[in-house]
Amino acid sequence: MNIIIIGCGRLGSTLALELADAGYNIAVIDSDAKRLSALGSGFNGLAIKGIEYDNSILKQAGISRASFVISVTPDDNLNITASLIAKNIFKVPRVIAKINNPNKKDVFKVLDIETINPTELISYMIKSKIEGDPK
Amino acid sequence: MKSIIIGGGKIGFNLLKTLKDRGYNVTLFEIDENICRAIAEDIDSDIICGDGTSLDVLKDAGINGADIIAAVTGKDEENLVICQIAKRGFNIGKSIARINNPKNIPMFKALGVDQTVCSTEVIANLIEYEFDRDVCKIVQTFDRGAMILVEVAVKEGNKWINQYVKDLSLPSECVIVSILRDEKALFVRGDTQIKNGDNIHIITNRATVPEIKKQLHSGGAQNAKQKK
Repeated sequence: MNIIIIGCGRLGSTLALELADAGYNIAVIDSDAKRLSALGSGFNGLAIKGIEYDNSILKQAGISRASFVISVTPDDNLNITASLIAKNIFKVPRVIAKINNPNKKDVFKVLDIETINPTELISYMIKSKIEGDPK
Repeated sequence: MKSIIIGGGKIGFNLLKTLKDRGYNVTLFEIDENICRAIAEDIDSDIICGDGTSLDVLKDAGINGADIIAAVTGKDEENLVICQIAKRGFNIGKSIARINNPKNIPMFKALGVDQTVCSTEVIANLIEYEFDRDVCKIVQTFDRGAMILVEVAVKEGNKWINQYVKDLSLPSECVIVSILRDEKALFVRGDTQIKNGDNIHIITNRATVPEIKKQLHSGGAQNAKQKK
């Protein structure tokens, strides 16, 4: 299965390494070559430097054959743009974006983009730890 | 007509000024507080300091009743998101996006942005046109370059001089509509002869202009054959 990861920050690089180790075909795109080097020499996949939602870059990453596009840059607008292009132009079966600013949740919803909201998840986990504390 | 501008850079500022002068009801969004203040000192208009890509900010500012929205920030992804929100979230009739990188134009169009304006491309075209405007002048542009009316000045040494229009081997996507000679318009037929000093008006498109220039200077393939 081919998976494209957009954004190679902490989340993007960790995800890329784990999925590549699990045997998936991974392509990672980031506009900053430094961040791509975080993947290290052990990364068994494609690392592409370029504008994250650029047509030719996405094609180079093999978007026409991709089953998943995961957009995890720290910029919400970039995640939305990349997701819309993957979904509506390249018809990628499943597109998931990260929400950085929880206030932007509605925008993703209006534009019908599937999301992961780390802030909400983490705060929920912390809350349940506190409430689950026997003391 | 109520209009909304997002982005208070040079383009946003000047657009606000122009629209205001024409009596439009305009609201400008800018995220940077200092820039907002600077604009407010210059122009008496509705300026909202906030993120133009946020639904709540747009709602509070009354985007619902707007007829037209112009996204002119320096970031293409921001402009795209704004236009998408306007269209799908608020049903605004017309959205215009500024594009900084010409490579993004086809994708913006595919995603349904009504109008795109690419400043980089416009400037590059203008400069290119300045380089050879004494030879080939664009008189009028229709539908942003899909059809243009150009005026070609025939000068000493051009291969078209003394040729009949029917003998010219022109590219298929161009029509000679008239010739201005001694301040009189000639309506061109096949047997019209081109003279030195003529101004030829041609309907064509942007892509064909370089070909026409080449023909004018080299005389085209037909002429080359005759010489042999």
